[in-house]
Amino acid sequence: MRSDTRHRALFVGVALGAFVVGAHATAAQTHPTYWAYVANESSDIVSLVRFDGEEVVEEKAIGVGFHPADLDGAHGIAVSPTGEHWYVSIAHGRPYGQIWKMATGTDRLVDTTTVGLFPATMSTTPDGASLFVVNFNLHGDHVPSSVSAVFTPFMAEVEQIETCVMPHGSRMSHDGQRHYSTCMMSDQLVETDVVGMKVARRMVLTGGHEHVMSERGASPGEEHDMAGMAVGDGDICKPTWVLPSPDDTRLYVPCNGRGDVLEIDRQTMEVLRRMPTGAGPYNADITPDGGTLVVTLKGNQAVAIFDLETGEEIRVETTEPVTHGVAVTPDGRYAFVSNESVGATRGTVDVIDIGARRVVASTPLHYQPGGLAVWKMEGGR
Amino acid sequence: MTRTLASALSGLVVLAGLAAPASAQFPPATAEQRAAGARVAEVRFGTEELVIPRGELVTVETGLYDAEGDPVEGAVAMIFAQAGVSPTFSTIDGPTIELTGMQPGSGTLMAIVMVPEDESGMFGVAGARPAGRLPVTVLDHPAESIEIDEPAYAAYTGTSMQMGGRVLTTQGGEHATAEISWRSSSPSVAMITGSGILTGVSAGSATLMAETENGVSAEYTVTVAENPVTAISMSPASTQTRRGDVIAFEISAHDASGNEVTDVALDLAVHGLEGTGAFVYDDGTFVAEETGAFRVLASSGTASAAAIVEVTERPAPTEVELLDHGARSEVATSDLWVFEGADGEDYAYTGTHAQGGGERMFVWKVTDPANIILMDSVVVDARVVNDVKVSEDATWAIITREGASTRRNGIVVLDLADPAHPTIMAELTDSLTGGIHNVWIMGDVVYAVNDGTSAMNIIDMSDPANPTHAGRFEIRPGETDKSLHDVWAQDGYAYLSYWDDGLVIVDVGAGTHGGSPTEPVFVSSISYPQGNTHVAWRHNDYVFVGDEIGTADGMRGYIHVIDVADIDNPTEVAKYELPEAGAHNVWVEDDVLYIAYYQGGLRIVDVSGTLRGDLYRQGRELGFFRTEAAEGQGLAANSANAWGPQPFKGNLFVSDMTSGLWVVRHARPRPVTF
Repeated sequence: MRSDTRHRALFVGVALGAFVVGAHATAAQTHPTYWAYVANESSDIVSLVRFDGEEVVEEKAIGVGFHPADLDGAHGIAVSPTGEHWYVSIAHGRPYGQIWKMATGTDRLVDTTTVGLFPATMSTTPDGASLFVVNFNLHGDHVPSSVSAVFTPFMAEVEQIETCVMPHGSRMSHDGQRHYSTCMMSDQLVETDVVGMKVARRMVLTGGHEHVMSERGASPGEEHDMAGMAVGDGDICKPTWVLPSPDDTRLYVPCNGRGDVLEIDRQTMEVLRRMPTGAGPYNADITPDGGTLVVTLKGNQAVAIFDLETGEEIRVETTEPVTHGVAVTPDGRYAFVSNESVGATRGTVDVIDIGARRVVASTPLHYQPGGLAVWKMEGGR
Repeated sequence: MTRTLASALSGLVVLAGLAAPASAQFPPATAEQRAAGARVAEVRFGTEELVIPRGELVTVETGLYDAEGDPVEGAVAMIFAQAGVSPTFSTIDGPTIELTGMQPGSGTLMAIVMVPEDESGMFGVAGARPAGRLPVTVLDHPAESIEIDEPAYAAYTGTSMQMGGRVLTTQGGEHATAEISWRSSSPSVAMITGSGILTGVSAGSATLMAETENGVSAEYTVTVAENPVTAISMSPASTQTRRGDVIAFEISAHDASGNEVTDVALDLAVHGLEGTGAFVYDDGTFVAEETGAFRVLASSGTASAAAIVEVTERPAPTEVELLDHGARSEVATSDLWVFEGADGEDYAYTGTHAQGGGERMFVWKVTDPANIILMDSVVVDARVVNDVKVSEDATWAIITREGASTRRNGIVVLDLADPAHPTIMAELTDSLTGGIHNVWIMGDVVYAVNDGTSAMNIIDMSDPANPTHAGRFEIRPGETDKSLHDVWAQDGYAYLSYWDDGLVIVDVGAGTHGGSPTEPVFVSSISYPQGNTHVAWRHNDYVFVGDEIGTADGMRGYIHVIDVADIDNPTEVAKYELPEAGAHNVWVEDDVLYIAYYQGGLRIVDVSGTLRGDLYRQGRELGFFRTEAAEGQGLAANSANAWGPQPFKGNLFVSDMTSGLWVVRHARPRPVTF
């Protein structure tokens, strides 16, 4: 594990430039306009999309990446709490990936830093000073990877916190004290102490064996080692995401391998509810009132919308397969959803009306749109 | 200068429960503390510049002041250290902060004050504001000794040579910054410059003193002898050559008895009698970039010898004739492989890259190179099919995958029973999930570049329908910061292009270092400062190593020529650099180097004979072809983006990222060696 104070701004200036690709339509007078960034992993393009209540359009295609010929793999997106910056993980690396800090509006590069292997999703602390990035490291053999803590004012990676195999999903508690990630191949939920920058608790997610691990990792009788593969005869969860509820009392974990979502008591780390989904639940987001959970179903070309009070699920089919990312608008009305599609077919971003439970707008983007984040909501009355 | 700021320290808030080092978050602050922070105009330190010896702890006084210079009470501040100082973060929770020097170098400590949250003056982060900075330098461990190298030559009057040495620290390592300054006790015997160029002046002994500015020193006693050299012979005395053709002069020094003097440093120089642009190297080789007449001079003391070289022009590049163009305008093209299939027809397979969706390998029938025919394509779950390779018996092929929707990439094995319509026979994805960028086939073994792992995976293809893992090689196992980009093997050696670590040569059955095809053994490596080592190809005693450098002005990078006559000690001896473009894949055959040079199209270069210097400036180019498509015949018109070359049955095949497959014929495929 590295814990140096590298401040790598050795970016080779090869941003491919930004260009306008869509007309700027006049926003509806009575409807808010929503803006979101979407990373297209196999095009090295980040799309800025706008939804005005009727149609979603790609306003800008922003070239990212440090190598003009090879794919650098733009994967995860996060927007700073002030809305002044957005961050994109450049996953492929040489071999370590990078985080690019970009200015919203101009979409110009501000700074970069190098992190671990295949940085994927990320989230900031409430004050915006820190960015926690999971280093997914899907390459080669299964070995423990890490979460990088980046100090954003100077884009300096200040710590790599070793967690487990293939960490994915990165979300911060709303009080900024705990960071949550999951490890696909270790079947673990990891709680990290943000202040101390160390793992605080680990929870085994394997069906029938759910428990909080001992502080020192595996102990006699435990069926997981600290950072290794899940073992045992339970149903493997293979988690890909974790999301605290708005009041920080619950955690929601999609089990990509098993096809359900776990509702976990954040304090005790006990499973409160299992909500079956379709195939391959992947990412999730929640409405600000905590009442509705939207889960992408990578294996079903759909999203599952859960009423968290009743547990009722409504399935909404998306426009292309390999449904990946989801971000709910600040007012809780809509969800932006990315669909990777396959091979040479361009992916799409759909806008789902959460209340109406249907896709109300969609537009094709580039190859393999994945991570996305809402930038802002403007106007409306 | 150090100032004491103790009078200001009453204004600081002690943050109970926040032990240093603090996290990457800002320290918590109440509204009152933030309001106090808004009044802070400056965080002052007890010194204007901080110098910390490596490994030592120092205490620095701090204080918060308003615009009038009065202390501010009740504010919260923190320090962020970008230099090699620990901790990276520390809350200013008392009159002092403690810092430890970790790595030698210079940087800055930044002081940050918590201010009201509606202020976002600091790089877009709300509630914090920079309020002071302190230059910091971490010194290396103290220098303790100097280790002086034994000179390569004897010291004779009238001769010069470079002295060398290293400054060692108290911990035994080489000092990060200390420099050696030289002087002589007897300049009338041995004169030495501050940088260490020693010249024998008269017979006798002198003490050479190597010193650092901090007083660490070492001595070396040099004995200067009368220069015994009375004659220098140089052969040939006069000769003719062409631009770029190397002349190896036989130069020897002799004493009055006719005995050869082998330990004398000779001065070699070249003088333009007619023209400029010629070079002579320490080993006596001469090469000229321009035509003209040159005098090559070898001297030692009062003895000297000269030779005259007349340099003539090389033949001008000759025409490259277009035979056919297999245009692809919907998708970017990647690598190619051309071969004779089991049915006796000739085929070219081309991969596809991300732009347009790289999910295919195209099959071209090229038996008639002037009329190539697109026969078929193979579709896989990928967004980049970067590489295509065909087995030596042309019964199976490998295509690589990156960007698979399942994120299980690996390799795909094709059955070439019908080479016009290959079918998928097998795939191997275990442990190859992140993607395979390149492969090379050597008999029944495939060497695969495993993306993101630093490793070359070795795959047993003895049963092509069931590929299995057979081994793995990493330049330094366990070090995850290595990036392998390409691999190529020939005659028992594999040549690996490690992005920042240069060319790495391994024995895969050469019989010299104990390696086998599945258990490679490291032989040697060579790297260079700019890194970006992308591809390598051996021909005779040279390995041609290409960079791939992306810049804001487009692709750049060139071909390094590495002499591997001594495989244990590779040495860079020449280069080929097209100034306006970037090198990509290469192929060498019959002393001709073919380079797909991105914007420069296909370049054809004479690499016959001995190679030294800059081959481009020497006019060694035999021809070129700009792979520029007409409107509608590629992803972009008139925009060469050459990816890979391959000579085949007297013709040249070139894949171009922007425009597809090109077939050309060079009017002069074989160079004439003089």
